[in-house]
Amino acid sequence: MSTTTPPAVQTAGASRMPPVDVTDRKYNKKRRQPLPYLLLLPTVVILLVMLGYPVVTMIINSFYKYDRGAYIGFTEPEFVGFGNYTNVLTDSSFWLMLFRSFLFMIVAVLLTMALGVLMSLLMMRLNKGIRLLVSVGLLLAWAMPALAATQVWAWLFDTTYGVVNWVMTRLTGSNWFGHSWLASPLSFFTILGIIIVWQGVPFIAFSLYAGLTQIPTEVLEASQMDGASPVKRFFLIMFPYVRSIFTVMVVLSIIWDLRVFAQVQALQMVGGTADQTSTFGVWIYRTGTGGDFGLSAAAAVIMVFVMLVISFYYVRQTLKEGN
Amino acid sequence: MRGKFTAAALLGVAAAVALAGCGSNTPAGGGSTGAGDGAKTEIKVWLVGTDTPQDARDYLKKTFEEQNKGATLTVEEQQWSGLVDKYTTALAGSSAPDVVEVGNTQATTFTSAGYFTDLTDKYEELGGDDMLQGFVEAGSYKGKFYAAPYYSGARVVTYSTDLVTAPVPTTWDEYMTDIKNATTDTMSGIYLPGKDWRDMMSFVWVNGGQIATQGDDGKWTAGFSTPEGIKGLTQAQEMLAYSKFPKDGTEGDQQIPFCAGQIAYLPAPSWISGSIAAAPDADAPGCSDTYAAEGKLHQFAAPGLTAGSYAPVLAGGSNIAIAAKSKNQDLAYKAMQILLSDDYQKLLAGVGMVPALSSQAKFMPDNENSKAASAAASAAISTPASPDWATVESSQILEDSFSKLASGTAPADVAQLLDDSINKQLNK
Repeated sequence: MSTTTPPAVQTAGASRMPPVDVTDRKYNKKRRQPLPYLLLLPTVVILLVMLGYPVVTMIINSFYKYDRGAYIGFTEPEFVGFGNYTNVLTDSSFWLMLFRSFLFMIVAVLLTMALGVLMSLLMMRLNKGIRLLVSVGLLLAWAMPALAATQVWAWLFDTTYGVVNWVMTRLTGSNWFGHSWLASPLSFFTILGIIIVWQGVPFIAFSLYAGLTQIPTEVLEASQMDGASPVKRFFLIMFPYVRSIFTVMVVLSIIWDLRVFAQVQALQMVGGTADQTSTFGVWIYRTGTGGDFGLSAAAAVIMVFVMLVISFYYVRQTLKEGN
Repeated sequence: MRGKFTAAALLGVAAAVALAGCGSNTPAGGGSTGAGDGAKTEIKVWLVGTDTPQDARDYLKKTFEEQNKGATLTVEEQQWSGLVDKYTTALAGSSAPDVVEVGNTQATTFTSAGYFTDLTDKYEELGGDDMLQGFVEAGSYKGKFYAAPYYSGARVVTYSTDLVTAPVPTTWDEYMTDIKNATTDTMSGIYLPGKDWRDMMSFVWVNGGQIATQGDDGKWTAGFSTPEGIKGLTQAQEMLAYSKFPKDGTEGDQQIPFCAGQIAYLPAPSWISGSIAAAPDADAPGCSDTYAAEGKLHQFAAPGLTAGSYAPVLAGGSNIAIAAKSKNQDLAYKAMQILLSDDYQKLLAGVGMVPALSSQAKFMPDNENSKAASAAASAAISTPASPDWATVESSQILEDSFSKLASGTAPADVAQLLDDSINKQLNK
């Protein structure tokens, strides 16, 4: 923004500012004013304290053998260089977990995006009253705390007292009571997927709906009169208009679904086998609280790296649009 | 849920009002001469699970606050699941609790890492050799004493004569047959959720298997893959067919299915009878009106292979320790003394727990439950005495493996999985 400020504004600024600042004279074209930096300061400080400090600590810890004794300050942590990284990268359970996390992420993102698009298209067609109702419903699902949502879904699928088993028994006639939905990894991830997608769709639907409403109606009407089918209208007219929103949504969903933590952790407390269902965040948490903070820090650094690579596209896209 | 929240909110308001009242009263009252230097000191005691009965918690709070004017004591209940994880971080923080209960098999994890205050010079004062020695051992590390015994509990088999008509089995095989015969379409012969490794270990032990044994060189060798271990796992898998409880479920709140008439034989810590025999309108309801009515609830120690012997059960119980990071070490110690006192332990003994001091065993009521508990305790086996054992527990490998056994994985594969993981974690 600052680079494209029209010169008129700058002269106006210069006349207001007393000519004390040396930098002001040095850079005639791009004058530096302290105010923007001052306004940025609180954010920078908060980011440094809340994000910078933990990240630096994490990177340092990843080079030490850091156990419970070291954590509480009872013993000195032992420097092991890249030992933790070698251990993580040669651990087969780490690679299995990585594969699992990515597979889950891909399926969840595909489902979230598909349902989000359909939902936003539906909202375009609904009349005002119903649209309000749908929006409220979506908002409620979105606003529900992840932990509470997980608990509610876990109760629905409860082995002994769950309503799903009751319905299945009624529908099929055979006895479903005692069926553990979380016991097999596949159905564990199906339920996890339902929770994640259910809470992920509203944001996608709202954002895309906002984008779709910006499409000039005459363009759509013209294409309709030219005889374009609804499918063609969507892919050739509507989608290009919201392409950039769509891309950002995909990238954000990828990041969110890859670092999902609370829902997995909470479901594992209810049932399922931890070693077959842990995802990235949960694996790191378990390794750490299991007494090996160094190893978990190394895994966390790797996770940050993976996330950076993925978000690189997002950041570049944002910068492009800024320009 | 709503009722609970409202109650909690009201309690919070009430506490706030009460505290405010105290604050304004203290100067007028001329200040207390107690340990609290004017300001109110708060001692936090973390007890785990619902094992400790409510009247014992009330007694602790009342007695402590009477003895230490100007200090308050709060009991906060923690959950057994994820306890090691929680303590690992919570006890290292600046707002650490002062006194904590920890499972006997988990104690070494924390004593070896400096999480607890060294109480070696308080050993005699706390009870000396009168304290349960197995638990003193669990709470000591490298010759120093950190965590005192809190209570010991043995796993007994509880049943109601409304649901079980067979006489008490005298051998393990008879017990197995009784379980099979008691099973109906709506009732499980035995309560065995898939992750209940604590009760399933009895099957391994009674058949001669071991979790792990330590060689002369200090190296641990896991023992599930031995012929005895596999035999035990195979039998556990066979008996799991007579339990209709979740294959990936954990044990807990057994009084609910029991009071619904869904369990014939319930292997559980001896204090479970207290929960089952609670009134139907209590906060944690039981069924004193039906299956646990007067004279209907019975207990026995699981019989061993031969008549007159008992099947090995997991030596359960808790230790109590002072967090090294607690800012009120002296007051915390005073709270600990109350926890080990005769009057307090009497309340624990009343619900079927074995008290912390041998001389307090006389407080145990002379009933079937106490007798069954002592008999079972005589055959109890502890988990491997390694500082890394809690890592095995917190990795959930035992829960996961037994859950796989319940879901139909071959015993030999489960044994291999267990042995690989335990060998790796105990020989770090």
